[in-house]
Amino acid sequence: MSVLVFLEHHGNELQKGSLGVLTKAAALGDSDVAAVLVGGGVKALASDAAKFGAAKVFVVEDDALEPALPQPRVDALAKVIQENGYETVLLANSVLAADVAAGLAARLDAGLNWDLVDLTSDLVGKRPALQDSIFVDVGWKSTPRIALFRAGSFDAAASGAGEPEVVEVSVDYAEHSQRAQIVGQELEESGGPSIEDADIIVAGGRGLGAPESFSLAEELARALGGAVGATRAVVDAGWYPYSAQIGQTGKVVSPKLYVALGISGAIQHKVGMQSSNVIVSINKDANAPIFEFSDLGVVGDVHEIAPKLTELIKQRKS
Amino acid sequence: MTRASDYPPPFNAREFVAEPTDPVDERIEVGVLIVGAGPAGLACAIRLGQLLAEHPDVAERLGEVPVAIVDKGKQPGSHLLSGAVVNPRPLRRLGFRLEDLPSYGPVHNEAVYVLTRRNALRIPPPPTMRNHGNWIFSLSQLGRWLAERAEEGGAMVLPETAAEKLLVSHGRVVGVRTGDKGLNREGEPMGNAEPGSDLVAKVTVLAEGTQGHLTGVALDTFGLRGDEPQVWELGVKEVWKVPRAPGGVIHTMGWPLRTRAKYREFGGSFIYPMGDDMLTIGMVVGLDYRDVELSVHDILQELKTHPKIAKLLRGGERVQWGAKTIPSGGWYSLPKRLYAPGLLLAGDGVGMVNIPRLKGVHYAVESGRLAAESAFASLQRGATPATSLASYDDAVRSSFINDDLYEVRDMRQVFGRGFFVGGALASAMTVSKGKLDLGKLRAEPDAEQPLLRGGRAAQYPTPDGKLTFDKLSSVFASGNKTRDDQPNHIRLERRVPKEVAELWVNLCPAQVYEVGTEGGDGTVTVNVAPSNCVQCGAITAKGGRLTPPEGGSGPEYTLT
Repeated sequence: MSVLVFLEHHGNELQKGSLGVLTKAAALGDSDVAAVLVGGGVKALASDAAKFGAAKVFVVEDDALEPALPQPRVDALAKVIQENGYETVLLANSVLAADVAAGLAARLDAGLNWDLVDLTSDLVGKRPALQDSIFVDVGWKSTPRIALFRAGSFDAAASGAGEPEVVEVSVDYAEHSQRAQIVGQELEESGGPSIEDADIIVAGGRGLGAPESFSLAEELARALGGAVGATRAVVDAGWYPYSAQIGQTGKVVSPKLYVALGISGAIQHKVGMQSSNVIVSINKDANAPIFEFSDLGVVGDVHEIAPKLTELIKQRKS
Repeated sequence: MTRASDYPPPFNAREFVAEPTDPVDERIEVGVLIVGAGPAGLACAIRLGQLLAEHPDVAERLGEVPVAIVDKGKQPGSHLLSGAVVNPRPLRRLGFRLEDLPSYGPVHNEAVYVLTRRNALRIPPPPTMRNHGNWIFSLSQLGRWLAERAEEGGAMVLPETAAEKLLVSHGRVVGVRTGDKGLNREGEPMGNAEPGSDLVAKVTVLAEGTQGHLTGVALDTFGLRGDEPQVWELGVKEVWKVPRAPGGVIHTMGWPLRTRAKYREFGGSFIYPMGDDMLTIGMVVGLDYRDVELSVHDILQELKTHPKIAKLLRGGERVQWGAKTIPSGGWYSLPKRLYAPGLLLAGDGVGMVNIPRLKGVHYAVESGRLAAESAFASLQRGATPATSLASYDDAVRSSFINDDLYEVRDMRQVFGRGFFVGGALASAMTVSKGKLDLGKLRAEPDAEQPLLRGGRAAQYPTPDGKLTFDKLSSVFASGNKTRDDQPNHIRLERRVPKEVAELWVNLCPAQVYEVGTEGGDGTVTVNVAPSNCVQCGAITAKGGRLTPPEGGSGPEYTLT
């Protein structure tokens, strides 16, 4: 069995999601774990990849490939897979990776299982179904097997060290792969980490009472070094931007710590954050469903408790 | 007296009628275009497939796509919900063997109970409620299966496609325009925007089901509305996995509905086994009710707390939930004609439902089949002059659809006189096979009922998340994961008296409406969360107007 992991990077940083998948690949117990890096200046990132378990790193170094377009990456991956006979290809879901996975599946006539949250060492994938109420075991009938994992499925854990074997690859791109170009890129300004990457999330719900009260969540997040999330109800009401929405129709997150302020815990919200490591909730309604899946629940007025908590954390930290 | 109808929605049917606008070479041309992949539309497609296979010359003339069906659901069946105990005769007439259909078998036993809070009195089934020879289905599953058969027969099925506008040119329906996709809340195109397109057809069949959007537009545009206004009932149902399903179908009357005439709470419940380990339980209530606190969803929750019913569900788990309106005006509310130039109307959209018998699926199938035959006959002759589709109207009027609906024409209305009086009259009507003529009983549109506050809400149980559920977790169980930033598809007056706002809040089984801020003059604003909507149609009956949301959104039913 040989495993290849597609690593996505932005700027000079490897994405946490794909490092998580690489960590998982290394943990499957096979020595032949390799990673692919595509873009400009990516060679420098190869040693980072080694830390997370890649014994070998294929580098497709080309400044022209820095824009995050899928098709050239399909060419690069297809070449690496075909020439080296990789049987299993893993990707961490993102807008780019989903396109690459789909393109690769079509190109290699390969089976693609997507939205997986786990993979066993005998290559059985786990996919949530029916609104995440059950898990389905999925497999592949042929090789290469392509798997796309849901964001936040695995923690990235540095294990190995040392220099990987770096293999530089040059790729002849198909003509149709070069047709698309990126004409502009906009970055949404936001303070602090994004909610997909944050280890700590402080999320606010309708219980905050008014849009101004969101500052309670923001201050607590700042004190904890975390990001701010929101429920659909407050996004709908225009209190907070959609990009912060957590839940069935927003983002799915799994931080180490999730602090829920004034969130009732409707199932639509729950499915977006239930895999968080520790869930702490503050709500004045003792019957709120969120207490059923919180590790620590505080029944009380969030307007009183949150500022004190922020103060306490600031004191501890200083 | 406050009435919801005094606060009409900002809606005008003319907005949804247009000439084709796409350049001629970009229009998608089909032979027969069917709107709605339900029992009527699919039966129509299947029958057309059979006729065209027998007459390849006609198929040839219809071009590359002789038959196309558009449906707004994620896949065929996603928006289908019914009881459903179905009279299988029209399915057999389409050439299917009943054993091949995805069903839960024929009805073997049945029981009817009149409930009180603690007890259940078994009564002999009234003549209209006898189900011998009928089969139990999940309509969603049946729709998915029929869609596969329609595709095998050569029809092109286009799911995730809303039919938004009726294309009319020189007084003739020439197809539909599909809805735009990928717009944001303000209606501006986003990165993945996809504009709608003109689907041009020689014959268009509207088989949209209850509260059909273009059906309503067509009835107004061509002046086809019947003598009496259409009225509706709302059904909310759940599918449960249970240790042991009941051995037969069960219907209940009485509790938790209140029997006093002034409340006008007309309805009942059904419990049908689905194999050995599943059952479906539903509550149906007429939307001519008056108490602003009435919520069919919560009445269903209340029903499940009855000791007899809780026992059936013990040890079980709710696996799906859904809601849908049922047209209940019957014979007097049928349109004057079921056709217009280039257009045929079939199924629930025009109200082909027999309320006392709780049946409509077989009328939908039959009317779809008759529509196919009429469309085919007209296409075979080559021309489609204005009246060439009239044969459909004659066929429906001389079919069992008309006979059945005529027999029970007054039954729905008599229940307005109170449960017991109404029940007695209804029995007399069936026993006399429709010969007892009470004259035409006026039905008022549901939205014109004067509103009162009758304390309904005090009876609802607090949801425990095991036997009883709140609305939001129920929306989740409908499979609805509509994106929150799509344009609002619900037309509604946003500033209304508090009673009207409360009526809508309680009416909606999917928690779409919320009472907003007070205006100080007795009015309040109405907040709307359109992505919760499961497109049941209740709001259209009670003073709002649904339009089609983005194709592919809404519930994703699989077992309802």
